[in-house]
Amino acid sequence: MTLQLSVRSIVKRYGGVVALRDGNLDIQSGEVVSLIGANGSGKSTLSKIITGVVAPNGGQLLLNGHPVHFSNPQAARGRGITAVYQELSLVPDMTVAENIWLAHEPLRLNFRVNRKAMRKNTEDLIALFDGTISERLQPDTLVTVLPPDERQIVEILKALSIDPQLLILDEATASLDSSQVNRLFSLVKQWQAAGKAIIFITHRMDEIFRIADKATVLRNGQSVGTVDIASTSEREIVNMMIESAATPDDIKIPVVSEDAPVRLDVQNLGGGRVEDVSFTLRDGELLGLGGLHGQGQEDLLLALFGAIPYTGRVKVSGKEVHYRHPRDAMKYDIAFVPGDRGREGLLLVRSIIENFQLPSWNKYGMLHNQDAAQRDAHAMADDLQLVYAGMQTPVNSLSGGNAQKVVLGKWLLRHPKLLLLDDPTKGVDVGTKGEFYALLKRLTEAGTAILFYSSDDDELLGLCNRVLVLQDGRVRDTLTGERLTHSELVAASMGATNNHEVA
Amino acid sequence: MNAQTLRRYLTPPLIALLLAIALFFAGGFINPDFINVTQAINIVRLAAFLGIIAAGQTLVIVSGGEGIDLSVGAVVTLAAILTFRITGGDNNLVGVGLLASLSAGFIVGLLNGIGIALLRIPPLVMTLGMTGVVSGTILVVTQGEMLGATPALMSTYIARPLIFGIPGVIIIWVALGVVMWLLMERTTYGKHLFAIGVNRTAARLSGVRVERVVIITYTLAGLLAALGGFMLLGFAQTVLLNLGDPYRFPSIAAVVVGGTMLTGGKGSYWGTMSGALVLTLIDSLLRAMGLAEAYQLIVFGGLLVLLIAVYGRELNLRQ
Repeated sequence: MTLQLSVRSIVKRYGGVVALRDGNLDIQSGEVVSLIGANGSGKSTLSKIITGVVAPNGGQLLLNGHPVHFSNPQAARGRGITAVYQELSLVPDMTVAENIWLAHEPLRLNFRVNRKAMRKNTEDLIALFDGTISERLQPDTLVTVLPPDERQIVEILKALSIDPQLLILDEATASLDSSQVNRLFSLVKQWQAAGKAIIFITHRMDEIFRIADKATVLRNGQSVGTVDIASTSEREIVNMMIESAATPDDIKIPVVSEDAPVRLDVQNLGGGRVEDVSFTLRDGELLGLGGLHGQGQEDLLLALFGAIPYTGRVKVSGKEVHYRHPRDAMKYDIAFVPGDRGREGLLLVRSIIENFQLPSWNKYGMLHNQDAAQRDAHAMADDLQLVYAGMQTPVNSLSGGNAQKVVLGKWLLRHPKLLLLDDPTKGVDVGTKGEFYALLKRLTEAGTAILFYSSDDDELLGLCNRVLVLQDGRVRDTLTGERLTHSELVAASMGATNNHEVA
Repeated sequence: MNAQTLRRYLTPPLIALLLAIALFFAGGFINPDFINVTQAINIVRLAAFLGIIAAGQTLVIVSGGEGIDLSVGAVVTLAAILTFRITGGDNNLVGVGLLASLSAGFIVGLLNGIGIALLRIPPLVMTLGMTGVVSGTILVVTQGEMLGATPALMSTYIARPLIFGIPGVIIIWVALGVVMWLLMERTTYGKHLFAIGVNRTAARLSGVRVERVVIITYTLAGLLAALGGFMLLGFAQTVLLNLGDPYRFPSIAAVVVGGTMLTGGKGSYWGTMSGALVLTLIDSLLRAMGLAEAYQLIVFGGLLVLLIAVYGRELNLRQ
């Protein structure tokens, strides 16, 4: 069965906000089309219209030449169209198998759930990711105990369970590590060869070039064009996405001089997944943390912020510190931008100003000087070029990039001397990323020491002069100078220390 | 005014206040004598006691983590009995009675806070258990005998008309409203309270000492319930072993009707004040209708469940 889907001039409004003014897309069986655009450009809205999650206000969907209307996701699923979304849709207290087969459980003749078939089918699906996942991921495991990357994989398997003809992967790689991404990509190739159509939504440029045949670019709710990947460049795509964009190569942070004072001295640090980590960080240095997902980078940052217990010796500006709560670390001018901004970084239903000032309220007196708090927040918002309606609007009304600016801004208001960043550009659009890079440069020039974990290798290589590569909670390798290359980084991530051949 | 601006201004506290005004005039249909200044002042006076008792409940519910304080009723009773017994009707001992009441409320609240924040006992279990402990203590100490008297000073300054025919308790309630607003909106404690109500992980990672805020919150709730019990004695003049019990559930309902989210992180005390007015009016209307006491209780209880269900439902739609 072949499938040919055309999206024609789709319009979608949410109240007074136009999410999509002119969405167009063409895809057919055996094709991988990447849908790209900055945050808020309408990618997710377009994919939700294709899968029947939301109804368009205008325009047409043509399936094999005939107009179709999907009034709900079940209708789209009935035609073999489904999606994997970035917001996870799993039920935490159900097992992997129950989640995957929810609402289309294999049945026996007497209409009871065929648990044996369900288990077998689930095992077959899980086997697709063999070797890239832990032992924990079994059909009977409760989803709640799985880490984010494995939950994402279950989400993918759930979409696969209906044997889709058109599969939309919406930021599906954001929480996967590189071996899982590699596996997913080889699977995508297989599905493509088997005649499935795949729409691939991502922020990562390299992934588009690895996997897609065509890229359809959205800007401000409008599709601005489709290019063949074989005959285009990153530059061309970026230019289509946004007028002014920076890639990390434009901003290399200068090497910090040897006589800059040591801000952070860590000896034999352990805690969480971290084991025996030692390093120093100087004022004005941007030190990268690399490696596959979940190798202890997050726990290292949490331990240095006093959010989890640790062992070993930590010195800040030469003074040995023992902290038991983030508030203790904050006294040493340390700030931490967490990796999951919705869960750890923001009070989503509260206002922008309350989020900005949360760590700083006590400096506005017993009864807050509201004017001063407003003034400082406004100044920071201007500084960060925050796009917002008003200080009192809830922070969940902001786009991803702007929400991340609020997380960063609340710490910058405290003028930190040591900034701990956990993947700060995850889910952030290209334009905002460029602003972040420029900001990091300004901060280091002003003498701020920054410890920077990124899941994006290009970012680490483009910005940092020194990268610690973690594996299993230990520093596997420290890359500097000549050895600061993609292949070295990948090799070290995979545990091939000092081995110049890349697997 | 279009629908959007209307929605912005028509916040749950305002809806509750409009509902209270509508209920007051609805009373006129049942009984024309219902609408007059004396009656209005009387209703606000009754609402003031509920409002003061529900102040701590507001803080507890805003703090999230399934926060609820079921021990308010018992603390109200304890404070009233302590004042009744310690003063023995002596005007000179009113201050001592107040201090003893507040101390008792402070201790009960502190224990609640420690149990919930440090021993991680669910608020429902902890405060219900504390209710039993407080009620038991009252029984042991009083042996069921209500010895004592209410100082005349208290009824003068609390229940009787004080200035322009307005009783002291209303003035104190309004003052408490201002203090609560400042506490919630203009202090670091208030900001941290809302923060832990929304997201405790994010709050902690922003330097909020979550456990400390929880303990302070339950302690304040104990203090405010004790203040409510002290005030209530000035009105009731006498004490009963279950004096505060009828306030336990309405104190929660007033908070919810005032638009504070049961899940925490959003709400206001002026909403609770409006909620207290609504509940008091419903109660007064049922009395004005001349229903038998038992039927009044049934209808009032049913309406509380209905109101909370309606508000809870609206929350689901918004999320």
